[in-house]
Amino acid sequence: MRYDYVVIGAGVSGITTALILAKSGFDVALVEKSPRIAPLIRGFSRHGVYFDTGFHYTGSFGDGEILDLFFRYLGLDDQLEKTPYDPQGFDLIRNLEAGFEFWFPYGYHRIRQRLHATFPAEKDAVDTYLQAVEATYHAFPYISLNTDAFSVAMPSGIHGPSLQQFLDRLTDNRLLKWVLSIHCLLHGVPPEEIPFTNHACIVGPYFESVHGIQGGGGSLVRALDGQLAKLGVAVYCGTGVREIRFAADRTLTGVYLEEGKNLDCRGCVSTVHPRELLNLVPESLFRPVYRKRLERLEETSSAHILYARCDSSLDRMARANVLISPHLDLTGLGADQALQHRPVYLTAARSKKARSFKAGLIAICPASIAQMSRWAHSVNGKRPADYVIFKENMGTQLGRYIETACPEVAGKIDWADCATPLTLRDFSHSPFGSLYGVKHKVGQHNPLPLTKAPGLFLAGQAIVAPGILGAVVSAFLVCGIIIGHCRLLKALRKYR
Amino acid sequence: MTDAEIIALINISLTEEFELKMEDLKPEALLFDDLELDSLDIVDMVVVLESAFQFKIREEESIRQIRTLGDIHNFVINKKNALLN
Ligand SMILES: Cc1cc2nc3c(=O)[nH]c(=O)nc-3n(C[C@H](O)[C@H](O)[C@H](O)COP(=O)(O)OP(=O)(O)OC[C@H]3O[C@@H](n4cnc5c(N)ncnc54)[C@H](O)[C@@H]3O)c2cc1C
Repeated sequence: MRYDYVVIGAGVSGITTALILAKSGFDVALVEKSPRIAPLIRGFSRHGVYFDTGFHYTGSFGDGEILDLFFRYLGLDDQLEKTPYDPQGFDLIRNLEAGFEFWFPYGYHRIRQRLHATFPAEKDAVDTYLQAVEATYHAFPYISLNTDAFSVAMPSGIHGPSLQQFLDRLTDNRLLKWVLSIHCLLHGVPPEEIPFTNHACIVGPYFESVHGIQGGGGSLVRALDGQLAKLGVAVYCGTGVREIRFAADRTLTGVYLEEGKNLDCRGCVSTVHPRELLNLVPESLFRPVYRKRLERLEETSSAHILYARCDSSLDRMARANVLISPHLDLTGLGADQALQHRPVYLTAARSKKARSFKAGLIAICPASIAQMSRWAHSVNGKRPADYVIFKENMGTQLGRYIETACPEVAGKIDWADCATPLTLRDFSHSPFGSLYGVKHKVGQHNPLPLTKAPGLFLAGQAIVAPGILGAVVSAFLVCGIIIGHCRLLKALRKYR
Repeated sequence: MTDAEIIALINISLTEEFELKMEDLKPEALLFDDLELDSLDIVDMVVVLESAFQFKIREEESIRQIRTLGDIHNFVINKKNALLN
């Protein structure tokens, strides 16, 4: 079989890449190691409740905003029903140390007003911060479609300032700094490490607007699947790529699948974790310096995730999530601390039946995969008995912690299942089971979409940013390199 | 570190990390034309120099003017001296 391009990994970035290339007239194959596409975001059901996994809400998806435009370009819009979060408070953020809570609104004017009202002495700091976030986010290639195609370049946050440094220059108010840093939970890099530019590009969309999708990640996957079929992308699932093959002159010739099949092609876009990429290419393909660079990329933390049933509805959480942090200090984001010292992210799950009042709760709590080293060699479905006991204990402890930190749910939840860092690792085939892949961090050079191997390109959360939007933008960026930014930006502008 | 030691360390790092041949590492060698590096290699060059000499390189003007291997030698020597002063 011969294709123009083979895309490796059918997460959001890989599927989007395949769709753009197919729309541009190429013969495309998409290869996914899991039995079905998009294992990270497809969610699952237990006891009549649908639980989302890698997708709960997204920014910039309001009518006419950039993700909405991307989805219209991809032909997804008429299959997706947006569910707006509450503009007056899409996240309830709660600090236990300070006994403080704040409904974080969206829309820059609302955020400004609310912060001014809460921190009257800090109006300048608030304004400077919000202006910088907005300007930085909108300068990112493909977020602004007015970018001159010849100067598409990713802003480099490598030299800092970090978010922490940026905020330290603005104010001494610890509580305000906590409020402006808590959304580090959306990218998994603590304030002292995340470059301000990257933080701005990840929270900027949520400051614009916040939406979920009716039916959650599962609906998004069905819509993506439908478009893959419609555009004639050949999808190979349940068989990973084992090797990317090159001729003696370093020309890319194709990929070799785990099931023993060859797919010939002239180009390849890899969206897998950079560490996994190294397993797929000949040792001599990259210079030692580049191999080491990929090997040494630091990882975001993993998590324990509790999926609970809930017999009464969690009213206020229908259109808002809850972010709880025991401390003002977010250094390290807490993955290595005792459970009750870690932040936790709560979001509601919905019943599969439209009229049922039954619902559920999902609690995500940072955790390090190193704590799981005893069972590192086990795989999903075949874990030893002591792991099962550990997991049950973890579920119980996490349940108790949540009931204390969030009394609103106390007595209402009954846990249904629990995921550990090993679950995350095995379900999404990411080597360390981290929430958001490799960090974007001051001082760390993440890989770019272009590689030194002709025909081999990279996309995915490691390249641009984590999140659905980061994954989608990484796909547009890499396809812009392949088919020409001019052509792609022009095609996108038609959807404005 | 003497200037000669700095130059030797740069050249050894380039043979190990970039797989360049020692005999090609003449100070007058042009990075792009003679050593066949390209713009994608700049980041890796920065990574190699930062880890060999334990300093951080910003996108300073002087790095953009680098054309030859000798320019790299001088850049690092100047940077080291500046850090000492
Ligand atoms: C618990 C959790 C909650 C989240 N919540 C949100 C949210 O609310 N909003 C949001 O925007 N983002 C959220 N995210 C982040 C978001 O889900 C990710 O950033 C995004 O989905 C990453 O997409 P990707 O395509 O880059 O990576 P992936 O989805 O990881 O895609 C890589 C794919 O490659 C496959 N693969 C690996 N090796 C091979 C191989 N050898 N051959 C073939 N295939 C291979 C993997 O199975 C995988 O499907 C969340 C993440 C987690 C973990």
